[in-house]
Amino acid sequence: MAKVAREMVERAGVDVDQLLELLISNAAAELTTFYYYTILRVNLIGLQGEGIKEIAETARIEDRNHFEALVPRIYELGGKLPEDMKVFHDMSACPPASLPADPTDVKAMLKVLVEAERCAVRGYTHICNLTAGKDHRTYDLALAILHEEVEHESWFSEFLGEGPSGHFLRRGETSPFAGKFMR
Amino acid sequence: MRAFTEEQLTAYDGLDRSPAYVAYRGDVYDVSESFLWQKGRHLATHFAGRDLTQALEDAPHGAELLARFPIVGKLSYD
Repeated sequence: MAKVAREMVERAGVDVDQLLELLISNAAAELTTFYYYTILRVNLIGLQGEGIKEIAETARIEDRNHFEALVPRIYELGGKLPEDMKVFHDMSACPPASLPADPTDVKAMLKVLVEAERCAVRGYTHICNLTAGKDHRTYDLALAILHEEVEHESWFSEFLGEGPSGHFLRRGETSPFAGKFMR
Repeated sequence: MRAFTEEQLTAYDGLDRSPAYVAYRGDVYDVSESFLWQKGRHLATHFAGRDLTQALEDAPHGAELLARFPIVGKLSYD
């Protein structure tokens, strides 16, 4: 634990134990999403599925990166991951991104994907709101992840025909925002 | 539709096998089946068995998410 780092956050008025619970539950959401997206991705087959496979894979890897980025901050603030992975799964801040009943229905797959991202956007927005101006390091981390989750949502939303996302998919490395927390 | 007082609502906190109910703008919702309301707790911040009208105004999501859950009663503010 980074004792003084935690103390600074407490003295700024943040309930650090509550913040830790949120960070851990969002870390659980990231790791479980990485797992569930693996299943979604392998089922994105055929002419329609193939077109979405790449962005699903990018989102999957970036969500795993988010988990990696969150873990050090959890321990810096004096928290820890549950020893039982089943407990960790059930703590997730977002419901499981389960395979739809008909995996050949690409629209249904996209709805699962976009809802998972929307849950993440809400989660990191909340953490940003709690930490802005008070816990600069967690805010910076949550904001970086939020940038990427917003992009994930917009990609899937665009494929659902909800309107243009405004930007291209990744060209090159993943996690352009959260990558700095993984060095 | 069943009427709840705020005190009666507290019994539905999602603990000890009780259902998890939350109130919003006078409607009482059953969120027991929600993955995000396990053991009557929502994201380290909110507890079942309470009126969450004000809390929802400050949440990073709107009331549209509550529409997924059945309304089981009305909250009386008397």
